[in-house]
Amino acid sequence: MSFREKSAWITFVLVLAVFALWLTNVIRVEFFGLRHGNPMLFAIGLLTIFIVAEIVLHVAIALQSPAEARAPKDERERLIDLKASRVGFYVLAAGAWLSVGSMHIRFNTLFVAQNVMGALFIAELVKLATQIVLYRRDA
Amino acid sequence: MAKTIVNNIRRLRFDRKEMTQQELADTIGVTRQTVNAIELGKYSPSLEVAFRIADVFGLPLDQVFQYEVVKRG
Repeated sequence: MSFREKSAWITFVLVLAVFALWLTNVIRVEFFGLRHGNPMLFAIGLLTIFIVAEIVLHVAIALQSPAEARAPKDERERLIDLKASRVGFYVLAAGAWLSVGSMHIRFNTLFVAQNVMGALFIAELVKLATQIVLYRRDA
Repeated sequence: MAKTIVNNIRRLRFDRKEMTQQELADTIGVTRQTVNAIELGKYSPSLEVAFRIADVFGLPLDQVFQYEVVKRG
């Protein structure tokens, strides 16, 4: 498995983990009214753990194959990035429209903001999944 | 009949003292995975990379890459 593919897998798993924790919190607050702790601290904590884990795991895989990690992306890898970003964009666009539509379900700024956040998470996950599939299929 | 780009890179590598995919990749500035994808016909390189590959083997482009009808199945 190439360095880029390992990198995509690491980011996919970490984004999925953060998304799951964030979604659990949103469901608890929005549907069950279970508020505890400071939501801003929760968000900052999640982001900090995500960044630290990304750095540590990327350093670990870079140590396994330093030459690959140092090398810039080649044309095939850039094409894979572009294709994956296009797929992710369509998901993000659909999510943005659904978020706007969600105002008809519940006219609440926080609810709409959370839907936009959800769309961002799902779009990123779809982009990373597309990258992984393209790396697997073409290699 | 559909035509596709085929290449002789694998045979040319072996004719060149069994040059590895990694050695070829390092010479032309792409990853080993990209060389593998090109060899297997899963990725068509840019014209620039195609010329760099031909240059490594000291051959004209059409002796490395061909545009042919490929029988499938």
